Amino acid sequence: MNRKWMFLFLMLTGLALTSGCWSKKELTDIAFVSALGIDKNEEGKYVGTIQLINPGNVAGGLQGGGGEAPSITTYSSTGDNIVEMSRRASTKISRRLYYSHTNLLVINEELAKEEGIINILDAFDRDPEFRTTATIIIAHDSKAADIVNTLTGVDKIPANKVIKTLKITEQRWGEHMEVSIQEGIKNLISPGKEPVITGFRMTGNTEQGKKLENIQQSAVEENIQADGLAVFKDGKLVDWFQGETARGVTWILDKIKVTDINISWEGEQEAVAYEVLRQKTKVSANMKNGQPKISIHVDAEGDIGEVMVPVDLTDPSVLLNIEKTVEKKIQKEINDAIQRAQKNQTDIFGFGEAVHRSDPKAWKKLKQDWNNVHFPQLKADVTVEAFVRRTGLRNKPYFFRMESNQ
Amino acid sequence: MEKAKISAYQLFVLILLFEHGTTLLLPLAVEAKQDAWLSVLLGMVGGFVLFWIYYGLYQYYPDNLPTEYVQKIIGKVLGRLLGFFFLLYFMYIASRDLRDFGEMLVTVAYPDTPLFIVSALLMLVMVYTVRKGIEVLARTGELFFIIVYLLAITGFILIVASGLLNLTNLKPVLEEGILSIMKITFTQTLYFPFGEVVAFAMILPYVNQSKKAKVAGLFAIGLSGINIAIITVLNISVLGVDLVSRSPFPFLSTIQTIRLAEFLERLDVYFMLTSIICGFFKISVYCYVAVIGIADLFNIKEPSRLVYPIGIVILFLSITIASNVSEHIKEGLQIIPFFVHLPLQVVIPLLLLIIAFFKNRKSR
Repeated sequence: MNRKWMFLFLMLTGLALTSGCWSKKELTDIAFVSALGIDKNEEGKYVGTIQLINPGNVAGGLQGGGGEAPSITTYSSTGDNIVEMSRRASTKISRRLYYSHTNLLVINEELAKEEGIINILDAFDRDPEFRTTATIIIAHDSKAADIVNTLTGVDKIPANKVIKTLKITEQRWGEHMEVSIQEGIKNLISPGKEPVITGFRMTGNTEQGKKLENIQQSAVEENIQADGLAVFKDGKLVDWFQGETARGVTWILDKIKVTDINISWEGEQEAVAYEVLRQKTKVSANMKNGQPKISIHVDAEGDIGEVMVPVDLTDPSVLLNIEKTVEKKIQKEINDAIQRAQKNQTDIFGFGEAVHRSDPKAWKKLKQDWNNVHFPQLKADVTVEAFVRRTGLRNKPYFFRMESNQ
Repeated sequence: MEKAKISAYQLFVLILLFEHGTTLLLPLAVEAKQDAWLSVLLGMVGGFVLFWIYYGLYQYYPDNLPTEYVQKIIGKVLGRLLGFFFLLYFMYIASRDLRDFGEMLVTVAYPDTPLFIVSALLMLVMVYTVRKGIEVLARTGELFFIIVYLLAITGFILIVASGLLNLTNLKPVLEEGILSIMKITFTQTLYFPFGEVVAFAMILPYVNQSKKAKVAGLFAIGLSGINIAIITVLNISVLGVDLVSRSPFPFLSTIQTIRLAEFLERLDVYFMLTSIICGFFKISVYCYVAVIGIADLFNIKEPSRLVYPIGIVILFLSITIASNVSEHIKEGLQIIPFFVHLPLQVVIPLLLLIIAFFKNRKSR
């Protein structure tokens, strides 16, 4: 009996010892980093801007939280490399920086142009705490610090706002795309593909953006918005793709989900809005007479979203015509993007990888100067098949009747 | 030899968990690039042959441990010496695997904890199980087998559902030709993980139905080969060849990439649970065969008394075999396969089988 009690006692003490408090981190001793911006100062040191979440001020209205103080606090710190910068930040911050929930990495445009992003990404790739699923963006015409410092409305945490904006615009508009650090690195080192990273711009006054008054008004002037695709070559930013050229890139990379394509109709510019609902792009490569040839095939399906001229949408042959015009438009977007990339001599579409997959032997020879010699001379054959499936709740527009009444 | 019996099914489960042990953890056949999975499957075929060798030896001496029958095959002195080498080998590999898991835990989850503490806690659990004997180990295996499979199936669904699977990463197939795949198979995947089944030569005598043991063993090797190939395919198609070759724990990186429906992310625990469970069985089996082997070789009546000392030896060995991770991995990839695995897993068992064949034919 005595033995039994002794055993029970031992078990209970064991329980106290096995609860695992070796490297405990109290929640009140941790500063959650939501975003990290990286700039470079005149002395050539990296300047990191660390966006920390103020948990008490994030809580929604009903719980009575929020209110006076901003939902984030930012600190900046300098260092010769990322780790030094992060450690040195502890001179300013009362808590241990915790990177497990960091979702956003912002890189300065100048830094990406002059030095490239190759050197900085290793720290994020290597650290067990930092997640490489975090999104990476480039600060377009702004400092990375501005993007990280600006307060945002609706979504109280700016990092979340940026990521959500990027996600939604990728899904609804398709000129930008979300790229994780992991994907970025994958494309950086692949000889047959170069990275493309979305740019974000801060509008308005940088000082005003840091103030709470900025989001206490209806028309937020100091905002962060997606702007352009940064195109890289050898790890350095070489060009910005904007608008339809940028969408050409997302078409080829098969990242388009839903978008809107305007076509001209009977002389009227941009008169019919075609809404792409789903699409599939296939890129394949084959060798012809020792020269690589790329064929891109797009299958797009969608509805008519809006017409601004009288069009008889009940007539299938009209829809067929619309389809043809849409096909040409998409083809043009894609060709423009390819031409621009060829001018920059950087294969952001992964055509090299397609060649590698289809003909590994030929790729071995082409690999060396793919970006500089072979890619710019590449012939790409773009075929598009677009289908109009439905026309929405109405067939003929209401002004169609008006015109025939006259 | 302790008085215990395990069923053929239990043998199957043990081999399966054993094979998955460190293969879930470490990158396999990275030199084969996108064809790593082919190399794994070829290694599996080699594993069948190796198991056939061990089983053949077992058929000649169904009631003896290998440490006993080597003495019958090549004489008392030489046999004892060889048996002793095998035991050293088992202990060494156990300590290597323990180090693998210790390094993983320290790198990934417990950066502030010393390696020794992590390894010691792991070893403590294993020593406790091994002390209870093979029957308990096998029953634990049956229990955990179900858990591991549930984890594997849900994990697989999660990876597929989050749209990460990019099978174009597997192309081009056979870029370097079949010969280079064969070369990698014969320098790596054949020995690790499939040749490591040599430890089960020490466990085969405990199986109560010797005929079924063969089927169970082959099935276990086949199924684990397919599973490991699937995991290799997952790793490559999710991460790409380059990232796999740069990651010390590629499967962890694969799991970390899962992001489903905004809230199912950071599922590291999946990886931790499966790999630690499988690793537990692998090291326990090695530890167990070392213990019964030493008890047999040195005529110790109660093998269970040896468990703690052997456990401590394995623990300290795991700390001292290498001074850093790179050294540890490099030894495992470049030195161990040729100088340790090749002779002890392939050459010596094959020679023993040939000698046993002629000896037994003569006596008939």
